[in-house]
Amino acid sequence: MTDVILEVRNLKVAFPSAGGVIRAVEGIDLVTRKGECVALVGESGCGKSVTALSIMKLLRTPPSVSRIDRLELDGQDLTRLTDREMERIRGKQMAIIFQDAMTALNPVMTVGKQIDEVYRRHTRLTRKEARRRTVRALELVGVPEARSRAHSYPHELSGGMRQRVLIALAFACMPKLVIADEPTTSLDVTIQAQVLDVLKSMQQDHDVSALLITHDLSVVANMADTVYVMYSGKIVERAAMQELFTDPMHPYTRGLLASVPRLSDDRQAFVQIPDSVPHPMRKPSGCYFHPRCFRPSDRCRQHMPRLEALENGRQVRCWYPLRQESETES
Amino acid sequence: MSRSRPHADPLLEMENVSVHFPVKRTYPFSKRRWIQAVTGVSLRISEGETFGIVGESGCGKSTLANAMIGMVRPTAGAVRFQGDDLYALKRAAFKAARRHMQMIFQDPFSSLNPRFTVYEIIREPLYVRGGTTEAIMKRKVLDLLKLVGLDEEDLYRYPSDFSGGQRQRIGIARAIILNPEFLVCDEPVSGLDVSVRAQILNLLMEIQTSRRLTYVFISHNLAVVKNVCQHMLVMYLGKVMEAGASDAVFADPVHPYTKALLSAILDIDVQGPRDRIILKGDIPSPIDPPTGCRFWQRCPFAMKGCETIPPELVAVEPGHQVACHLVSGFSAEQIAAGRDQPVSPQTEP
Repeated sequence: MTDVILEVRNLKVAFPSAGGVIRAVEGIDLVTRKGECVALVGESGCGKSVTALSIMKLLRTPPSVSRIDRLELDGQDLTRLTDREMERIRGKQMAIIFQDAMTALNPVMTVGKQIDEVYRRHTRLTRKEARRRTVRALELVGVPEARSRAHSYPHELSGGMRQRVLIALAFACMPKLVIADEPTTSLDVTIQAQVLDVLKSMQQDHDVSALLITHDLSVVANMADTVYVMYSGKIVERAAMQELFTDPMHPYTRGLLASVPRLSDDRQAFVQIPDSVPHPMRKPSGCYFHPRCFRPSDRCRQHMPRLEALENGRQVRCWYPLRQESETES
Repeated sequence: MSRSRPHADPLLEMENVSVHFPVKRTYPFSKRRWIQAVTGVSLRISEGETFGIVGESGCGKSTLANAMIGMVRPTAGAVRFQGDDLYALKRAAFKAARRHMQMIFQDPFSSLNPRFTVYEIIREPLYVRGGTTEAIMKRKVLDLLKLVGLDEEDLYRYPSDFSGGQRQRIGIARAIILNPEFLVCDEPVSGLDVSVRAQILNLLMEIQTSRRLTYVFISHNLAVVKNVCQHMLVMYLGKVMEAGASDAVFADPVHPYTKALLSAILDIDVQGPRDRIILKGDIPSPIDPPTGCRFWQRCPFAMKGCETIPPELVAVEPGHQVACHLVSGFSAEQIAAGRDQPVSPQTEP
């Protein structure tokens, strides 16, 4: 297909340590199409941030060992590129928005200068022209009084403004792909709504593909077109957003959806998934989710199911995927 | 969750409580400035209920909770616990009262001493109170471990061996070992994984029913508050915007801030788009907060009078109060002065 922007095949990342090997990511396939927002959902420690970093090729090899069959950005093979060549891609063709804007930005440099740098690095713009583009980029993400704000240091801005600066930074050269790693987790609800709005409109107006990495299902529900659910380093389900929320097929997805308190609920006990995520060094045998599943069988305890492809692009990694309730009723 | 026996007197009452912190002077003779963390909050918490405090970061909800349990002395106003003015008590009586109040903290990583074993952490309150033997303490700790869902063999392990959810369970065990009556939960689940949150919330609710506790539940997650609390308070920049029975507030939010907060939370119900009010701007600084209504700069319905005249809390229905000029209106001479005219730039969509 021609409109595939990002293609990842069989990504594996491990962190060997004295106590044993942490297999953070165990063979992940990801596809992002043009203008699409793909979400990678999972709880902490499931390997979603490691996935993001390996796509950007930002993981250093001494602590990590990674292996990938294919990593293509808009048809361009990234696996063989050197660090120097990657520097030309990062920021220009793909960019990342980090969770914590305070540590992602340089504290001793004005935010304007930091965005100028992107233009100076990747284009042949003059200083003056770069600053003009910077101000325009800041205006696009809704920073008020962008011209004077460009002279502020990161600590002078509020959390929401800093996150906007990061978005402006990522979209500065209108890359083909923007990876957003938990872009709003550290923000307040009203600010979160503002920032997500900005992110969504930037992504849609400029037809940029996005890979949204989050643990927050409500963010996914408002942003994503396609969703990958990750658990313990493996993808357990892939579906279009609507289908995933109305008709989850993996017991983990269903549990996760049910455990989110909703405003429409009546007062009652919360639906819970027992136990917690397995330690990455002590993953269970068979299906990683079976100790927490509501109906594990011997087969689940012994064998890891494959990620089965189903109709209209859905994928499920379960021996006994859940069927839609309405189907069983009728 | 439990609606135990109705009690005429509230367990905890706050009257016009303000907590202001001085800001360090920039120059020796510069004017002293204050962070107005909490301003003029009154509330009544009756026995056995769960009382929710909702607001964004910096709105003073944690300071208010700290003032409730005697950790921050209010600059003005009174806190009455079981009828006694908490901050007028003598030292011994104050200590005795404090034993009935405990707190569960947000961050299960920094609230446990990493050099203590689980046993030492949980027994610490008993140990500090004194008057027990090692054997009694150990038995009590073991009972509690079982109650919060941990194993006996976890007793001598260190906090670093546990996941966030398990650590929060340890924190809960520590909070209830002295059999308190009043428990402040300061964002107890926001630091946890999604699939673990429900477990901790359910555990808290079970403990509340079995031990007849009164909870103050601080959260910015409105869906949790709606499911857990009987009464609630919406705070903004240290002031109460809306208060009342949580059913009433959620069924019919009146204050523009409450409405915006409710519409800003992203729900996972994907059926159809909703009308969302997206507030402009950021929360102003609590140092020299806006005069008049604290919310007027971000309010989509701000009127001229909102800039200068602070709104009073008025009841819109029994047990549901709102501080907003849209509800309370202006007096005749204020209207004559054009106070009810909309502030022009804010009304643009």
